[in-house]
This record gives sequence, structure tokens and C-alpha cells, in this order.
Amino acid sequence: MRRRRRLDGPVTTVSPVSRLAGRTAIVTGAGQGVGEGIARSLAVNGARVVIAARRFETGEPVAQAIRTLGGEAVCIVTDVTDRDSMEHCVVKTVDQFGGLEIMVHNAFRGGRPHRLEDLDDELWNQNSRTAVWGSYYSAVLAFPYLRAAGNRGRLIFITSPAGVEGSVNLPAYGPVKAAQRAMAKSLAREWGPTGITVNCVAPVAESPALVSAFDQNPTLKSRLEERTSLGRIGDPEHDIGAVASFLASDEASYVTGQTVVCDGGSFLGL
Amino acid sequence: MKRAECDTALSDLPVNVLEGKVCAVTGAEYELGAGLAIGLANAGAAVALLGDARGLAKVAADLGANGASAAAVQCDFSTRAAVEEAWAIIPDVLGSPIKGVVHAWMPSVAYEVNELVAVNDEHWAEVWEGALNATRYVLQSAFAHFGDGDSEPAGGRIVVVTPTVSMSGAVGLVPYTTAIEGMRLLAKSAARQWGPDAITVNCLAPAPEQVPIGVLSMAVSLAPPALGGPGDIENDLGPIAAFLLSDAAHGLTGATLCADGGVWMAP
Repeated sequence: MRRRRRLDGPVTTVSPVSRLAGRTAIVTGAGQGVGEGIARSLAVNGARVVIAARRFETGEPVAQAIRTLGGEAVCIVTDVTDRDSMEHCVVKTVDQFGGLEIMVHNAFRGGRPHRLEDLDDELWNQNSRTAVWGSYYSAVLAFPYLRAAGNRGRLIFITSPAGVEGSVNLPAYGPVKAAQRAMAKSLAREWGPTGITVNCVAPVAESPALVSAFDQNPTLKSRLEERTSLGRIGDPEHDIGAVASFLASDEASYVTGQTVVCDGGSFLGL
Repeated sequence: MKRAECDTALSDLPVNVLEGKVCAVTGAEYELGAGLAIGLANAGAAVALLGDARGLAKVAADLGANGASAAAVQCDFSTRAAVEEAWAIIPDVLGSPIKGVVHAWMPSVAYEVNELVAVNDEHWAEVWEGALNATRYVLQSAFAHFGDGDSEPAGGRIVVVTPTVSMSGAVGLVPYTTAIEGMRLLAKSAARQWGPDAITVNCLAPAPEQVPIGVLSMAVSLAPPALGGPGDIENDLGPIAAFLLSDAAHGLTGATLCADGGVWMAP
């Protein structure tokens, strides 16, 4: 059997050397999975974090866990498909913390595997509203505050390797994830003069959605692991969150318009 | 800038790669779609121009005057039922089932240049949802109707036109580039699922100069076009589209052919 390298000693408390100290981040879909991992990582790196979750019951425990670790976090109930709700989230964040430097749009609701010939408006809208409209609202509503942050302004979309290579079982998923990548490229060019960077992270991580897929398809996990060069599925906080935190930091101020495929070395096609 | 001369006279090209095939073209209201339709006709196809039939009548007439079999077919791209309806009548109009499609249609508002902060929700919906819904309905109609009336297995060829500007990004064109890249991945989704049905789906990526967005290749690349320019739609891009719709391209699917004069060379 292939030897798998395990993570050694992940950081689990807020670091005294905080490269994101004094900055405020919103993470949509942060009530679980990759969004939760990114929120935790940003907090570990010193950012004040808004857990933008559709349900308080999922978002507040994440915020509470971050506070328990010594970080600063609040939950704001947010529906990313609704402009008013997103605007409320952004305005409330700025009211509470005095600014917004980092906007991470992660929330996504895609639905069941399907055939393209059967893709109806309802299923399409579910994919489109969360991924693409949510990205659009994130961008336009956060922009005034990101611009005010100047070289510290960051917009990050969580996309997918499927947004490059497509998906055989989820034909609506690839297009909406690809759309986010194109949006990031054009916005990177458009907002470059302000100092704001716009990037994407394309993860493969052990999220609740993926765990559910593992339950339904017992061989899926081993097939996914075998496909990755590193022989394991990513951890939402320590693998994916770490990359998002890097992109949010000063170290990444010269990186824009890019997609960082964070999948353990599976899709190597960029 | 020096441009490479075409070293093959069009008369020397294999002109009949689409002989006997009926192909549909969307987006012929604009120069790009119209030029591609002429390219398919030059390769021997009978061409159905889908869209505003009155606006397309002149393109169809010009094709007919040059000896091609062509028809303008009214098609509203905003609902699946309307696209299916247009599709269903093409065999009656041109005498055979459709075997190939070039989808070059975009809502006209997509070509407007605005910074994203100046875009409102209505405009975003018109461009993003308008373009993606149209592409979905065209793909679904193609799948449903390829080979209508044939006794043999259907199969078919689809080409989605996706200018390279979606890969490079461009200032003022966030809605347009977002939509184009969504279309490109929708084509890949179709390619992955419909391969077993002998349906191939590829993308043809022309230079940004070929669509009315006011972006030049040089604005998004340090390198000049290797072939000296974006090329001629009818004579440079047309044969490539014809190849992708031909029997010879049966082993190619999910690919994007950048035909931009040699600017975008990734991967």
C-alpha cells in the first residue's frame, strides 16, 4: 500500500506572530467544511473573522470555537444569493470592526449528480445563484471597503479543479466554478490599480459534502487519494485555509488573477 | 505588422468535408457567426442560421447567392421550448437532420464595456444567465434532435465559440468573460457525458478582435500574434470550424482550439 504522509503538529491556537492582525475578513459558507477551515486559519493568523453562514445554528459554533482559541469572531446569518442579505453582512461587519480587508466567497450549494440533458432551471439556478451571483455580490458590495484597504484588499473565490477540467457527474458545477475563475482574472486586471488582489483557491478537501459522497460511494475516497500525488485528501484548515491565509497576507500582494489548485497534486494541468 | 500569407489557396482545401451535412449556426447576426457560417458553407454544409430570422435573412440570401443551401430560422434563445421548437423544424427546411452546430450567439448587451461597480443586477442577469441559458438550451436541443429521422445511430458535432479573452481576462468585461468561461466549461461537461453517444463538443477560441468588445490581443499579451494578426473569420477560422464539425474530428472532444493568430499558447 502506498505510504501516506500525515500532517505533523498543526497549529491550533492563535499565533503570537499574527500576519493578519488588525484585518477583518468575511468568509461565506463558513459554518462547515472548507469555509470553516478557512475562517479558522484566518483567525489563527490574527484576523477578525465574520462567519457568514446561512444558519445561526451552524455559524455560531464556529465563531464560538474561534473565540475559545483566543481569536475574534462573530456569526452573521447571510444568504449569499440575496443582495440585501449580503449587503447587510458587509455593512454590519464594517460597523462592528471598522473596515473590511478580506472577502472570501466560499458558499456553494450544487445538488445531486445529474445528466446535462436533464439539467433544469431549478438545479441550474441553485448552482448559479450560490457560486456566481454570490461572487458578484461579494465583489461589488465589498469593493468600496477593499479599495479603502488599498494594498491589503483581498477578494478570494473558492472554486474547484472541476472549474478547469469539468465534471462528468455534475455538469452544472464545472461552468459555475469556471465562471468564478474568469471573474477573478478580469477583476484582477480591473482592480489592479487599487492594490486589491483577486484570486481563486481550487481545493480538494474533506468537507461534509465530500464525506457524504464517500458514504454513498465507498470506493470514492481511496480512488481520490490514489489520484493525488500526496496520497491524501486535504484538511480544510491546515491545507486549504493555509493557502487562503497566504493569499490574504502581505506576502501575496504580488499574486493576482491566479487560481491556486490545492488538491495534493492531483490535477496538474494549469 | 507583417502578416503571414496563407500559403494554401482556398480552392486547394478539401472543400467537401461537410458535404451532405446540415449544420446550425447561432450568432450570425454578428460578423463572427456570419463568417463562420460562410466557412461551413464553403466546406459543403447546408446551413441553418438560428436567431432573429428577419435580421438573418440577408446572410442567408448571400449564402444562397453563392450556391449554398441556407435558411434563416427564427429562434428565441431565452427558453428551452423555443430553442427546441426552432431545432425541430430545421430538417423540414433543409431536408436532413442536423449533424453539426456552431454556437456563437451572445446577448448583445454582453459586448458593453463597463467596470463591474457600474453593472447592475439586471445587466448581470442578461449577460450571465442569458448566455449560459442559451448555451444550455442549444446543447440540450442538439442532444435531443441529432439524427432526427435517421435510421443510423445519431452522433453529432458541437462547437462552442469562446474568445480567448475569457482566459486572459479584461478590464471592463467581467460579465462577458465570466459568461464565456462558463460556456467553455459547459461544453466540457457535455463532452464528458455525451462521448458514449458519439457526440463531440469542442470550443473554438478566436482572438478578442473578432467580437465587438474593443479589446486587442496586444492589450492582454506581451507577445504579438505569431501569424501577424487575428486572422480572417471566413477563410482562417471557417476551415477550423468545418474540421471540428467533420467526420475527421471524431476523436477530438472537450478541447479548446485557440485560433487567435498565435497569441494565447497556454497550456
